[in-house]
Amino acid sequence: MKWATRAGIHIDRATCAWLIRRHIDERAEFIFVTDPADIPAGTTAFDIPGAELSHHGGDCSFETILRRYDLTDPVLWRIAAIVHEADLEDQRYDAPEAPGLDLVLRGLSITRGDDDILTITGPVFDGIYEYCKRAILLGREPA
Amino acid sequence: MTATRSGEWVLLSYRLPREPSTPRIAVWRKLRRLGVAQISDGLVALPADPRTREQLEWVAEEVTDGGGSAAIWLARPSTRAQEDQLAKAMAAARAAEYQTVIAAAAEAAGGDPAVRASAVRRLRKELRAVQRRDYFPSAERDQAQTAVQALAAPGEDDMRATRPGRAGRPARPVARQARQEPA
Repeated sequence: MKWATRAGIHIDRATCAWLIRRHIDERAEFIFVTDPADIPAGTTAFDIPGAELSHHGGDCSFETILRRYDLTDPVLWRIAAIVHEADLEDQRYDAPEAPGLDLVLRGLSITRGDDDILTITGPVFDGIYEYCKRAILLGREPA
Repeated sequence: MTATRSGEWVLLSYRLPREPSTPRIAVWRKLRRLGVAQISDGLVALPADPRTREQLEWVAEEVTDGGGSAAIWLARPSTRAQEDQLAKAMAAARAAEYQTVIAAAAEAAGGDPAVRASAVRRLRKELRAVQRRDYFPSAERDQAQTAVQALAAPGEDDMRATRPGRAGRPARPVARQARQEPA
């Protein structure tokens, strides 16, 4: 399946792409466009104005995708809190990790292209997922 | 003030129904958090970069979702004077916010260590939020940073707290103000 999003990816688009590949479509292919009009027919758009899978009702795109695909995994919702605060900074969630993760993505957006960023951040988000999962299972911060 | 100025601005023009008021308030809060310049009723601006453009585009979506209409424009003020006016108004709005932080730091400086520690946590958060929407840094930016740091730095502050005559007086920010008068 083909997925399209806005070029120049930051935290929300990077984590959405990871979420899509790990939990929705293992063989997802991503296309980056600068104008919503350039989204090719037959692709699913996300995190771009006008798309169903974008910011709605105060949610960032990561949260919207979790809702639309009925993903109820509490680990993903913990990651959603971090992504939301990194992207929107509206204090809806307590996510002290957000500014640090945001800085990493902002830095990468300066030095790397969009495809590279997905390759680099995939294992990073896998690690964050595992950490959050253990934290939830243990009820405390894992070592 | 000129270093970060690109000359290109991203504008959001929008209209939202007066009722219901919830989307109006949500949009207003978002715009305030972004530190936009209000050009006129329903027209706000930010210096254009990928982040500001994207943030305003999301606000535009929210306006549309809330039953209003909105458009995003990339534009240049036709004269330097007009751009200066926008930049000055934005810098002045941030300077006032920094002054609030400086005043709060001065007030907390006279408190006991627990009061000061909690003020440092709160003011650092507030300072970060103001810095995020500060596109034309002024002398107050440094002063606020210094004031909060002085509140956090243990050596100097402990001395000040134990000397009754000096409690509550932020020595360093005042000294810096004399050196760095805004242009």
